[in-house]
Amino acid sequence: MTTKTPSKTGRRVRLWVDRTALFVAAVLIWQGLSGTVINTFWISSPVLVAERLWQLAVSGALVWHASATVWQALLGLLLGMVVGVVVGLALHVLPRLAEAADPYIMGLYSLPRIALAPLFILYFGIGLLSKVMMAFSFVVFIFLLNTMQGLREVDQDQIDMMRSMRASRLYIARKLQLPSMLPWLFSAARISVGLALIGSVLGELLGANRGLGWYIEHASGRLDTTGLFAGLAALMVVAVLLNQVVNILERWAMPVR
Amino acid sequence: MVDHATAAATSPAPAAPVRAKMVQASKIYTDPAGAPKRVLDRIDLSLAEREFLSIVGPSGCGKSTVLRLLSGLTPVSEGRVVVGGEEITGPPKGVGFMFQRDTLLPWATVSQNISIALELNGTPPAERKGRIAELLQLLGLSQFGDYLPAHISGGMRQRAALGRLLAYGPELYLMDEPFGALDAMTKMTMGRELLRIWSGHEKSVVFVTHDIEEAVSLSDRVIVMEGPPGRIRSEYHIDLPRPRDLREVRKMPEFRDYCDRIWSDIGYSG
Ligand SMILES: Nc1ncnc2c1ncn2[C@@H]1O[C@H](COP(=O)(O)OP(=O)(O)O)[C@@H](O)[C@H]1O
Ligand SMILES: [Mg+2]
Repeated sequence: MTTKTPSKTGRRVRLWVDRTALFVAAVLIWQGLSGTVINTFWISSPVLVAERLWQLAVSGALVWHASATVWQALLGLLLGMVVGVVVGLALHVLPRLAEAADPYIMGLYSLPRIALAPLFILYFGIGLLSKVMMAFSFVVFIFLLNTMQGLREVDQDQIDMMRSMRASRLYIARKLQLPSMLPWLFSAARISVGLALIGSVLGELLGANRGLGWYIEHASGRLDTTGLFAGLAALMVVAVLLNQVVNILERWAMPVR
Repeated sequence: MVDHATAAATSPAPAAPVRAKMVQASKIYTDPAGAPKRVLDRIDLSLAEREFLSIVGPSGCGKSTVLRLLSGLTPVSEGRVVVGGEEITGPPKGVGFMFQRDTLLPWATVSQNISIALELNGTPPAERKGRIAELLQLLGLSQFGDYLPAHISGGMRQRAALGRLLAYGPELYLMDEPFGALDAMTKMTMGRELLRIWSGHEKSVVFVTHDIEEAVSLSDRVIVMEGPPGRIRSEYHIDLPRPRDLREVRKMPEFRDYCDRIWSDIGYSG
């Protein structure tokens, strides 16, 4: 039954062929429906979207808008990570505070973040900062909760093993707790990339003069479905690329497992 | 034979100096309902230098707790624990702990896992590599230094854990059912290696097991516990010749005699 195991590269090639085929099929169906079954006004068409993306790329508008969206998302992600991990560590060291704070953390976590938008715009204006804070508000709880969970799941026998050899707290943190937590942090990062983008775009939809979210909103206001789909396509590409970055970092930080 | 194998606390005190002792040591935990629960009840126990002591008893009687108190990982509730002449309040110097689970770091290779013990006992970095190679050789793991724990067998993992313990170089070995999860053959091999290392270096061992034959075949003395609350029920001085061959010793009538008496002491009449 194992006589014909396809080689690893063989499988990879096949996977990418399959993926390309799916993409091409979807685009062809879209193109086929457009202007025949469904009016081009509603769903534009792949050719029109590709043209628009090309124009935007050439004029520099694509980079101008995408960079704003990405930059806001990354800043929010970074800030959320730092604050989430630090607060998570603090709550781990102070279990009494953690227990007391638990319902409030869960309450804030469950709060629809969009309800915070008016407050953020009031505080931070319609510039960069309100979007960063929007992304931050999505991301911070993910890191906070994963940090606490990750620390709780560190094997107690392994902690005891190190304690019995008189390891310092710092040594245990460095050699045991941090590496044990890495999968939790990366899983937080993977979820957070998408959420940070949501925060960034949400902030743009609600008030901005730049960014892919703004571009989509703007296109929709002018009933420009081609622009709308071009913006969405660009967002998708950005999300895939950012996820890829996380994957690469993960493979670099945790080569085994 | 039966005559000098006295099963009583009246046996003569060991002549060698004391490596560790527990004096009227009790441990009280809080049970899930919040009520105090006496897990160990006024344990008196003394371990001589170079002694190999085993503790047997039904599961839940407090054997692991005895080791945790001796290791300083858990503080006593009442009484005292003295290791190397000093009353302890935390993990003392020169005490190594081995768990039933191997507790190897899964992301570190066998060599890196052993290296942790060398870092923690202050071995200079320049000497670590040589020492690791020596230990791998000793435990028959030379080919596997660069393997991750997930990629070697359970027996090899436990040998690697033993290697880490040896690397730390304790004066007192505390071993909590270290071979309990291994098959009979691997268990025998590990026991043989442990005895060889022990007789070569003359360290003290407290060895917890639920395998009475294993306890008798390895030890100078076997303590039988009962509980909860955990108490020492009886002790047996095992007067079998050393060095011991673990297979040969099991064929001796005295060996069978010790085992039978411990079995019936625990309350099993076959
Ligand atoms: N951290 C703890 N908190 C509460 N009870 C405990 C704790 N550790 C052990 N116990 C209880 O102490 C008793 C003895 O446990 P243990 O020493 O592990 O027994 P053994 O090793 O002989 O099986 C058990 O009843 C166990 O439930
Ligand atoms: Mg136990």
